[in-house]
Amino acid sequence: MLFHDWLKNDSKIILFDGGMGSEIFKRGITPGKLPDTLNVDRPDIIFEIHKSYYDAGADMCQTSTFGSSFLNLQGYKIESQIKELNENALKNIKRACPPNRLIVGDIGPSGVFKHPVGKATAEQWVSSYVKQVNFLEKGVDLWHIETISDIEEMEAAIKAIREISKKPIISSMTYKKTKRGFFTIMGDSLEKCVRKQEDLNVYVIGANCTLGSDEMIGLIKELKELTDKPISAKPNAGQPRVDQNNRAVYDQPIKDFVNDIREIIKVGVKVVGGCCGTSPTTIKEIRKLIDSLEN
Amino acid sequence: MSNDKFYEEISEAIVSLDKEKTIELANKAIQEKMNLLEVIEKGFGAGIRKIGDLWDEGEFFLPELMLGGTIMQESMQLLFPHIGTERDSISNGKVVIATIEGDIHSIGKTIVATMLSANGFEVFDLGADIPAEKIIEVAVEKNADVIGVSALLTTTMIGQKKIIEILESKGIRDKFKVIFGGAPVSNAWVSECKADGFAGSAVEAVNLVKNLLKI
Repeated sequence: MLFHDWLKNDSKIILFDGGMGSEIFKRGITPGKLPDTLNVDRPDIIFEIHKSYYDAGADMCQTSTFGSSFLNLQGYKIESQIKELNENALKNIKRACPPNRLIVGDIGPSGVFKHPVGKATAEQWVSSYVKQVNFLEKGVDLWHIETISDIEEMEAAIKAIREISKKPIISSMTYKKTKRGFFTIMGDSLEKCVRKQEDLNVYVIGANCTLGSDEMIGLIKELKELTDKPISAKPNAGQPRVDQNNRAVYDQPIKDFVNDIREIIKVGVKVVGGCCGTSPTTIKEIRKLIDSLEN
Repeated sequence: MSNDKFYEEISEAIVSLDKEKTIELANKAIQEKMNLLEVIEKGFGAGIRKIGDLWDEGEFFLPELMLGGTIMQESMQLLFPHIGTERDSISNGKVVIATIEGDIHSIGKTIVATMLSANGFEVFDLGADIPAEKIIEVAVEKNADVIGVSALLTTTMIGQKKIIEILESKGIRDKFKVIFGGAPVSNAWVSECKADGFAGSAVEAVNLVKNLLKI
């Protein structure tokens, strides 16, 4: 299987895609609507974004299903659309995916925290993710559980996937930088998260979002010290500001982002891409970088 | 025990997230007929502010913030009835606060509500995903002084502007101070909406409200 081949090939750096939400925002979206609903309302936009990432040279792109778990959809009162949203997301990316590239099932946070922040239980998380995974399983090559702030929620997502799927999992937490090091907002340290992800034996351990590319270098260095597993990094393009059109804008020059990615690759990641604020142009430049390093 | 030591004991109990101890001290303050507004400001307020500092320093995280906020809310529920009518004349003002429609983020807003309560404001926390019209309806009904609106998404912050527009269309803009909160909010946004200010933290929110109401 292609992903396994890539993992075994020591010289291969796998290029993931860039931000989906920020690309959707650039094209305009009705305030308050979940971006994933465009899979049904504007499949042409989602298809076009996926295609632009594959055309830019991404080895793999993820479904636009970041917010399409049962619990998260319930927060928007559209949980009845879970099948339609996830299945249309698959249709849209399948149309765009060329041969010898992969489709990644994107599993994002449930939007509900456990006590004392919220009322979610591990069982509810598992049940919510199982419902989503069921609709995506047949169409994906592997999974990316991303932007998770609670290691127990990550554990629930992994458990949910494994109830249905044997496909590889990239598990990616999101961390903030504090004076004491990298932690999730729920207070899970980088070390605690890595230990748990190793215990759960995921294929790839990663970090995405919250951090800009410069801060991500520091995190990846620490991650490299903590694990021998392949590592994934999808940083943001710096921090956003809101422009006069009320849109989130990321000002970091692409060349700065790519220079940081160069450093991250030097530290030793296996999978690299971008999160919020990155674009097909960003991915194209990283493609050039990777090709130059591999030659 | 001197009052200062008592306030310190309350503050420490909150920072230790010791709900039992905090409630015990709240009850003690009631039984001993202490100046409860001072107890709230110097004891409870100091404690929740310290929790905010610990968050900034990376020592406390969301669970600690929420536990601290819950302890505060339960303590305030215990204390407020004993302030009673005296509070209405001494109360620093009324604040209606909510997260705007389409946005379910509520943690920051809840912490701000708690801090404002701790600082002697009467707070009506409407929760999250609240339409602009509803927020204004309650503000009018309660004769509020301040409307606080939180938005954490760039896609929902447009609702903050809607609050101002509705107030202007009803000819009641001048009746309220309107303040914004949430990660995407900036000075530029506040100027564009012609709001009265924004706060990036709960402590800043309290100071902003005090400044706007000239307390």
